[in-house]
Amino acid sequence: MKILVAVKRVIDYNVKIRINSERTAVETNNVKMSMNPFDEIAVEEAVRLKESGKVDEILVVSIGQRKVQETMRTAFAMGADRGIHISYEGETEPLMVAKILKKIVDNENIDLVIMGKQAIDDDSNQTGQMLAGILSWPQGTFISKLEVVDKNASVTREIDGGLETLKLNLPCVITTDLRLNEPRYASLPNIMKAKRKEIVEMSMAELGVEYTNRLKIIKVEEPPTRSEGRKLEDVTELINILRDEVGVL
Amino acid sequence: MKKKIEKLYCLKPFLGDKGWIEDKNIIEPYLLEERGLFRGSSSLLLRPKNSKEVSQILSICNQNNIKVVPQGGRTGLCGGTIPSESGEEILISMERMNVIRHISCENFTITVEAGCILSNIQEESEKNNLLFPLSLAAEGSCTIGGNLSTNAGGINVLRYGMARDLVLGLEVVLANGEILNNLGSLRKDNRGYNLKHLFVGSEGTLGIITAAVLKLFPFPNNVETALLAVSSPEDAIKLLGLARSASADLLNAFELISRIGMEMVLRHMPGTKEPLEKQYKWYVLLEFSSSAKNNLREQMENLYVSASEKNLVLDGIIAESTQQRKGLWLLRDGLSEAQKPEGGSIKHDVSVPIDCVSIFIEKATKAVEQHIPRSRVVAFGHLGDGNIHFNVSQPINADTNDFLGKWNEINEIVFDIAQNLKGSFSAEHGIGKLKREELKKYNSSIEVNLMHSIKKSFDPNNILNPGKVL
Repeated sequence: MKILVAVKRVIDYNVKIRINSERTAVETNNVKMSMNPFDEIAVEEAVRLKESGKVDEILVVSIGQRKVQETMRTAFAMGADRGIHISYEGETEPLMVAKILKKIVDNENIDLVIMGKQAIDDDSNQTGQMLAGILSWPQGTFISKLEVVDKNASVTREIDGGLETLKLNLPCVITTDLRLNEPRYASLPNIMKAKRKEIVEMSMAELGVEYTNRLKIIKVEEPPTRSEGRKLEDVTELINILRDEVGVL
Repeated sequence: MKKKIEKLYCLKPFLGDKGWIEDKNIIEPYLLEERGLFRGSSSLLLRPKNSKEVSQILSICNQNNIKVVPQGGRTGLCGGTIPSESGEEILISMERMNVIRHISCENFTITVEAGCILSNIQEESEKNNLLFPLSLAAEGSCTIGGNLSTNAGGINVLRYGMARDLVLGLEVVLANGEILNNLGSLRKDNRGYNLKHLFVGSEGTLGIITAAVLKLFPFPNNVETALLAVSSPEDAIKLLGLARSASADLLNAFELISRIGMEMVLRHMPGTKEPLEKQYKWYVLLEFSSSAKNNLREQMENLYVSASEKNLVLDGIIAESTQQRKGLWLLRDGLSEAQKPEGGSIKHDVSVPIDCVSIFIEKATKAVEQHIPRSRVVAFGHLGDGNIHFNVSQPINADTNDFLGKWNEINEIVFDIAQNLKGSFSAEHGIGKLKREELKKYNSSIEVNLMHSIKKSFDPNNILNPGKVL
């Protein structure tokens, strides 16, 4: 069985986001970048499947500038086997990524796609669903548990009313939620070995995907700042304020 | 005491409700040592708002022989802020003097009042993309005045030095109320004796620090953190030398963790996980940092390769994200907290020359285990600057009080070994009330006599923090 894992290089989860002076994008210059945390969980899940003997190969795909190869190497150090880097300078869009992944799935005879439910930079939460759509594959989204038995994947999803368990036929697309697993630390011996793993770099054109961007960013701005709160002495004071100042009573 | 307090009444209107406090309930927490080691007594707490008020208070106290205990965030570990039980001392808390007066990006300095919380100073500096490097566990509640008067250490000493190394100028109120204004920002200044350094580390016995000019540094936006497994402290020391060279001295942390300490953290601290596939006897947490885009990652990897070729490093990980970096630091920062649920712990804050750390740990562990069989030595800390927190946890299922009753015996064993290796019985925690006897025992009489004469010339009536240090 062959698994494809898609990983995105994003601004590190703990970095305080700053907007550039033109207010057209988030500042990424000299900012710490890391693998999208949901993708890290996807890699971990794929590696665990491989360790259980059910998977022969884990293929990592990433799209972006040369630097995304560093993120791919992290996936290698965790246990992925080889990578395809689609070189691209602009902003990625969910449909574009889905089309690229579909092409690779077709070329590589992939049996299972595991990816993060969303990337923490644009929070789109669309790519997995779109990919399943254009592949006409079953999809299990936001999963917190995965079991692969023979030609089926049993997935558990945390939904409003409790836990939902679905059985999907392979091949299928799975997107990960936070509680699926806790990703391992990549060990230094594995980081060094990961340097020798193969990354094939190609453009979208070389892959045979044509795509024109459909989304246009008009403006990026900070959320409105919350005005300062104040402490009240008692309920009476609260009611007075609600009536006299806020005017809701 | 009442009569003495009456002498201060003239200041009451100036100090106001927030500055003059006789309410027992409010005073109560100011009398307690965090771990319950000491409990003092006092009926008056003053919280001045500026240096002039401090000056007026001390002037009256000095004339009337009223003893004062200066306080900052009260997070010290040696009881330096706790008054005596006599009730004859008044408390002066500096917490209301908490204005950051000035930050200069050209001078790389920040001017702050003594009551500023350390983490506020760090944050204000960071806003200007500058670093104030003093960093320690209590940074969210300790004050810079306390940090300076105790010459605090912490996790960045290896690269940036102790509090003393970070101060350029001080404003100090002397025992007689005179204000010594030495708030300069000069890096070179050889006009006679360097007086400010007498106040740094004097624990409030020579004067009350009211403001300071501190050094800032370019903010190290780029950080690489690694946890490496080593087989002994000796190998860890060899690794230290390699790490300094490999990083062109951009090493800013080099912390030793023992397996037993690691296990306590994994048992008790939520959010921690076994970092490496296998278990190892010793670990080193190290960090490179730089304000420029250096190849820190490559340097860290190269360090690993060259150290593992020499068999100094057995396994390791590099944090791939800030989240992972936090996870690794939790293994180190959780060490003190994780010892609490393990029962009584006898603690030592010793330093020895770096090349003696390994022999110190070996000798002291052996001696302690001989004295209390099955006691569990948790040695950890700032290996990079020779400062080892040599803590001894009680044997499993032993009686805690019995065990803690041996505090002094164990102290003596450990301190003697440190002393023989030309080490210090108090590396960064100071003397306070707790270690006065040790000061007399381990310092030479020449040193002790000099200290007494300094004290006498600065505070002839012995009103400043009596019963501390000397």
